Amino acid sequence: MAGVTFSDVGKTFGSTVQAVKDLSLEIADGEFMVLVGPSGSGKTTALRMLAGLESITTGSIAIGERVVNKIAPRERDIAMVFQDYALYPQWSVFDNLAFGLRRRKVPRDAIARRVAEAARVLDLEPYLQRRPGQLSGGQAQRVALGRALVRDPQVFLMDEPLSNLDAKLRTQTRGEIRRLQQEVRTTTVYVTHDQVEAMTMGDRIAVMNHGVLEQVGTPEQLYEQPANRFVAGFIGSPAMSFVEARAELDAPLRRGVVVGVRPEHARPWREGLLGPLRGTVAFVEALGRETFIGVDVGDTRLVVFEEGRATRDVGEEIEFGLVESGLRYFDPETGAAVQ
Amino acid sequence: MNSRGEQTLTYVVLGVFSLIALLPIAGIVFTALQDPSGGASFGSFDGLHFGNFKTAWDQGHFGSYLKSSVFVAVVVVAFAGVFSIMSGYAFGLMRFRGQNALFYVFLLGLMVPMEAIIVPLYYDFRDVGITNTYWGLILPQIATSVAFGTFWMRAFFRGVPQSLVEAARIDGASSWFTLWRVLLPLARPAVLTMTVLLFMWTWNEFLLALVMVSDEGLRTAPLGLSFFQGRNTSDLSLLAAGAVIVALPVVILYVFLQRHFIRGMLSGAVKG
Repeated sequence: MAGVTFSDVGKTFGSTVQAVKDLSLEIADGEFMVLVGPSGSGKTTALRMLAGLESITTGSIAIGERVVNKIAPRERDIAMVFQDYALYPQWSVFDNLAFGLRRRKVPRDAIARRVAEAARVLDLEPYLQRRPGQLSGGQAQRVALGRALVRDPQVFLMDEPLSNLDAKLRTQTRGEIRRLQQEVRTTTVYVTHDQVEAMTMGDRIAVMNHGVLEQVGTPEQLYEQPANRFVAGFIGSPAMSFVEARAELDAPLRRGVVVGVRPEHARPWREGLLGPLRGTVAFVEALGRETFIGVDVGDTRLVVFEEGRATRDVGEEIEFGLVESGLRYFDPETGAAVQ
Repeated sequence: MNSRGEQTLTYVVLGVFSLIALLPIAGIVFTALQDPSGGASFGSFDGLHFGNFKTAWDQGHFGSYLKSSVFVAVVVVAFAGVFSIMSGYAFGLMRFRGQNALFYVFLLGLMVPMEAIIVPLYYDFRDVGITNTYWGLILPQIATSVAFGTFWMRAFFRGVPQSLVEAARIDGASSWFTLWRVLLPLARPAVLTMTVLLFMWTWNEFLLALVMVSDEGLRTAPLGLSFFQGRNTSDLSLLAAGAVIVALPVVILYVFLQRHFIRGMLSGAVKG
């Protein structure tokens, strides 16, 4: 196994489109690193450069000690799980799993053993003789994972592997991938646009936007100490609301900065909170155990958290306050976090 | 859901077009079976005179000509097929300098008719001494077939999910292995359709065979039909019998491959 190092990596498509800009990122041996960002953020391009499927325009990528810029994908000792699984439709599940090992001239009995082991771990034993066309989405997904697993590579690369699954299966497989990775401790680079996946799976998360690495840290660091307004707004669901304290807002907030408020830090008014603020209910998302209430204060919308199933009506006036310790502050010009 | 009226109209229109397509074929078959001594007229039926086929077979020298045709068609289709798969793969899935310009050169081969190049081609081939040989028939047809085949297979390979090719690359497959072992099994309908089309066009090539070869042993089946023209213009039934003999191998090939052929045509239509 080995770590991965991106050193000032850039990627330009054509002469103008800069997909990745000066990406520097160290991924430790055995770490589960999630690259997350909206579409067009450069996360997939970064992964594909690591896989060798895209050339690197500037900088270098190393797997372990070895710089792999000029090394063919098959010689990088990596395995990749694709969004659409990319199973070979004409072969059985067994042959799909065995393919990478056969190409590497692994002895026949070792192949049989490793495929059997992967099939056992992934619960694929009953399907080994089936073709991919005869599998459900979840099963096909597990075959794709198994194909990476049997190879026992230095690095797993996963490109949005859960995005074709339904919500329930996605949650289940999320846990499964995490469990497998913790068992084999293979360095993993996982790309997703879903911040919930990122928060629940990653040892660390790298947030990207417009080809730039905005912040890298543990899920807790990103949530508690976002480096800038983009990260603050991207991580967390419902997203953080941003308020600029102005005279007409009539709120006891710090002036000259943008205030970031997470839903759990905006509560119906009670003593001890910062406030009160008054606004109009714009939407109500009652999830059973909790309710998120969208509140318009002037032209700013905040999300207020209320425990249990709250009964509020759209258009109703609401009084709420803020938990001061939970507020985050950002520079209105640069968006960078300020103390 | 279509109404009953719409459905009837659909069947009527399809029926009319089927008739338009089938009538000439039925006409040729009926004509081929007419009494050779009676006054032949196209499409009329006056009994089953299978002897016409034997007479046509002998007069049209089809015994030897069909052998030449089979040889030329098989060699052309085999080589053009392999070359087309390889060049289609390169144009469809690889990125290289001058790719587009080169592809247009290939397309040129698709657009320029044989009539336009036959005369200079004849002189070139005469200079290198390959007129009146199988090479003279085979090489130009491989070239024109590869033009179409490249176009056809490129469309197929462009429709293949990119991730499948990338997965194979990461799994350790070379380009060569990816093409022949990973992708070709998926390309079967496209390849079989290409095979039928190339076989049919090669089989029916008349002008090239007429100009390039004069040796009796090298002549192909379509040339045999010319024996019934001019000399035996009145003998319509023998001409029809000869036409049936020449057309039969392509029909047989089509019947064998038709299931794949139709699937290939459809996939080509969507992806191309």
